[in-house]
Amino acid sequence: MKKTVASLLVFICLAASVFANGTKETKPVSSDTSTPVTLEWWSWDPSLKEKNEALIKQFEAKNPGIKVNLATASTSEYWTKIRILANQKKLPDVFTMSSGYIEEWRKSNLMLNLDSYINNDPDINDFYKSLIDAGKTISGGDRYVAMPFALVTTVLFYNKGMFDAAGLSYPTADWTWDDFLNAAKKLTIDKDGDGKIDQWGFWRYGRYAQVEPWVYADGGNLIDRSKMRFAPDANAMETLKFLTDLTLKYHVAPTQKEMSDVRNQDIFPKGLAAMWVDGSWFIDNNRNVADPSMRWGITTVPVGPHGQKGIVYGWPDYYAIAPNAKHPDAAWKLLKYIAGQGQTADMFMAGKIPSYKPLATSSTFNDPSKQPAEISILTQQAAQTMKTSFTMGWSEWRGYGAAANLGLNSILDSIINGDMSFDEGMSKADKNINSVLARYYN
Amino acid sequence: MRKNNRIQTTGVYALLILVALVSIFPFLWMVSSSFKSDSNVFSATPSLFSDMLFRKDMFRNYQVVLKEFQFSRYILNSLFVSLSCAIGQVLVCSLAGFAFAKMKFRGKNFVFSFLLMTMMIPVQVTIIPEYFLMMSFGWIDSFLPLIVPSFLAGAFGTFMYKEFFEVVPQPLFDAGIIDGVGAFGMFSRIYFPLTASPTVTLFIIAFMNAWNGLLRPMLYISTDKLQTVTLALTAFQSQYDTQWNLLLAGSVISILPLLILFVFCQRYIIESAMGSGVKG
Amino acid sequence: MRRRKLCWHGPLTPWLFLLPTVIGLLVFRAIPVGAAFYLGFTRWSLLNNPVFIGLRNYKEAFASATFFKVVTNTVVFSLIYVVGVMVVSLAFALLINRKLKGINFFRAALYLPVITSAVAVGIVWNWILGPQYGILNIILTKLGITPPYWLGDPRLALLSVSVVQVWKMAGYYMILFLAGLQNMPHEVLEAATVDGAKPFQKFFHVTLPLLSPTTFFVLTVAIIDSFHNFELIYTMTKGGPQNATDTLVYDVYLNGFVNYRNGYASAVAFVLLIFVGVLTLMNFYIKKKWVTQG
Repeated sequence: MKKTVASLLVFICLAASVFANGTKETKPVSSDTSTPVTLEWWSWDPSLKEKNEALIKQFEAKNPGIKVNLATASTSEYWTKIRILANQKKLPDVFTMSSGYIEEWRKSNLMLNLDSYINNDPDINDFYKSLIDAGKTISGGDRYVAMPFALVTTVLFYNKGMFDAAGLSYPTADWTWDDFLNAAKKLTIDKDGDGKIDQWGFWRYGRYAQVEPWVYADGGNLIDRSKMRFAPDANAMETLKFLTDLTLKYHVAPTQKEMSDVRNQDIFPKGLAAMWVDGSWFIDNNRNVADPSMRWGITTVPVGPHGQKGIVYGWPDYYAIAPNAKHPDAAWKLLKYIAGQGQTADMFMAGKIPSYKPLATSSTFNDPSKQPAEISILTQQAAQTMKTSFTMGWSEWRGYGAAANLGLNSILDSIINGDMSFDEGMSKADKNINSVLARYYN
Repeated sequence: MRKNNRIQTTGVYALLILVALVSIFPFLWMVSSSFKSDSNVFSATPSLFSDMLFRKDMFRNYQVVLKEFQFSRYILNSLFVSLSCAIGQVLVCSLAGFAFAKMKFRGKNFVFSFLLMTMMIPVQVTIIPEYFLMMSFGWIDSFLPLIVPSFLAGAFGTFMYKEFFEVVPQPLFDAGIIDGVGAFGMFSRIYFPLTASPTVTLFIIAFMNAWNGLLRPMLYISTDKLQTVTLALTAFQSQYDTQWNLLLAGSVISILPLLILFVFCQRYIIESAMGSGVKG
Repeated sequence: MRRRKLCWHGPLTPWLFLLPTVIGLLVFRAIPVGAAFYLGFTRWSLLNNPVFIGLRNYKEAFASATFFKVVTNTVVFSLIYVVGVMVVSLAFALLINRKLKGINFFRAALYLPVITSAVAVGIVWNWILGPQYGILNIILTKLGITPPYWLGDPRLALLSVSVVQVWKMAGYYMILFLAGLQNMPHEVLEAATVDGAKPFQKFFHVTLPLLSPTTFFVLTVAIIDSFHNFELIYTMTKGGPQNATDTLVYDVYLNGFVNYRNGYASAVAFVLLIFVGVLTLMNFYIKKKWVTQG
């Protein structure tokens, strides 16, 4: 009976796969004996597929013994698919890894220990050491498990036209919160006098890249790493209060609901707000969305009363090697190439910073003909101290991706929208977030 | 009395128009907004009339969605998946319905009640093991997980065919026996040809369910080219969540095939719903 | 020979006919339900194999405020949905149950939302309920009412989503009620009219009792249907703000495929199954007491 059922199932599968002409086999077929090593490489960026394939061709030309197969999944599906591969012990030789998951993957031993490569390969000096170390810190272990290929960081965007019109000088790295607040007040304008603000001084809501940069620039911490608890210290609380007060007390920033009809990343380039703190990767979107006549710039996030300069919120994206890779040396060669030498400036969405120094400092990457003129700030930040609040379960408690309407994100929005008081929100955050963290760390 | 009647009729019409408006207005608003330009969509004084309507580039939003965002491809995918599901359900359910209606065997009641029970179970209850199953079959990122489960366990269709076959006049059956037709011949030559009405009904329902399903495509499909139109629409929504004119054009495209089906098969769709009600 | 007369088919023939169905039932229903039961006792992030952890998932769920919220949301959603859909659809059915010119058009118009995908419905209602440029709030503002943030306010989001679901599905139940109304014995209704009963009295004392089998059927279907809210919640609120629209059905998805907690999600799935089971049993128990036999 079992056999009949099994063979019937097989039959149905076969019949159905004839129908499903879209089905494809992902298994590499390589029977050619002259190419002894075939590597699998998984990437999450479909927009780079063609460029990555060109890169492979170059790599293969330089390394005649190695053949590379590339598989690309969009970011949203990438994690589920790669988890399945991990589950089935079929991880590709080289795969993309994010700061959000690296700790969980390191704990499950799903990435090869790279210590011997990183400590001994002379080419490593071409990469920002701060990024390589940040990966080690974020993964929470005592070994290198991934090699960064790019960094994203956070900056203050500002609209130069609006600053000029208000007679204000542009923000600098020396700005204090007071300087920021004064400017924001002057930049919040009801242009047609109908009682509705048409130009806001500042835009933010509960999103991680809009909140955490302020926290770190004020010397604060959201997570107590010794106990692995969500415990915003006094500086962090001061920052969160300041950020919510921008709407509730100073009225220089809109509520989340007032802006929910416009995409978060379009509010600044569409000229609805004069200043904005968010990820540097939005430089690309600014260039696409903003009117060509709009003049804008970037600078570092204002340092808070208890903060110090030179601490930034940023995190790398990495490549990792499967723990059971059959040809680790070849995989390392490939990894080094795709993270460094093989990359070109056009493979970086404007605002992402290469971890490979020759490229990051090249004139093709820092194109002076395009806005913002201050783009070199990004590479300066790449060399600074990086702080993050990534933990296991981060996307769940922070409210990221498909959970963006939940977690801390949603609590901060509710405070800004006036649905709950600051204290109420914080005690709720304490309870909810710590119950998530307790699951992972106790 | 007569005058009274007329007033009553007018009142009924007024009410009917009101409720019909409530139910149709979102669709009108969707269609009208899909013909608007960017600036027209975000207008503080919205108008039902679209600024791009009857202009040279009135279909621009649609062109963008169909070509740049490949909705034409997704429509084809959805058609393929939904047709497969519908055909599969008709085949499998009619066979099963025939067995339940006309044959005697041990365990009949057990299997039948079990089948009916499964109607109550939301797909979310079984989705995690199902996902694992699909994973071990190597079916992830193909149409198979969208087709096969709905193909094989159609409780509603089986129930409908069973009810139908039970009331087919006995003489037809007897004639078949006299002619010495085998069990399969009895089904395929005598009974199945009579089923135009339930077959069309089931076909439409299965087609609609497959067309509108979201959870399975979301979990199983990751290759862009294989997306169904419903899935593509949600992906589009999360990427361009405020480009309402494009998003609504995509929505219109995604429901258009169903609207066409509805217009042509209204009788079947509504009567099938009525039929299921009487059985209660 | 005699045997054949008793049974016109071979003993295995029915199973041949039932083969695909039985396979489907086993592979996609029975085994997954059993597996979900087992997985509920494990921790499983997909990265490794499931690890047996006993009752930890259930303990966590029943101790967690979020899970309590999820259960409450499920009950509230179902309640609004079932009551809303029954009242509205019965009213529609009564309205539409007459021979008037163009009645078929109105019938089709009211049925239209039923056939459209929940995703498209969710998108267009998002647009209508938008806080700034949504048509509803623009109208409310013109009327001098402070417009609420329908989908972003934790107190309103669940109500908004369930009302949209009522809007979408009322047409379906309208047709069910219509069938019931049309199958009612005319003599009784006419007799009531002759006896001089007012329309109001007629409805409560004659129509409604006669309609009770249909009403029961509608109730059963509506209760089961009230768990089909994944698509709408996904497109409208993604379970937010702050879990305000997170129902059991959505929570399975959220935990399983967003947070990759497949063990816990399976436990939630099993609670959902028990929910559905208990409701269905309750339903049949009530039926015995409640339905007027015609």
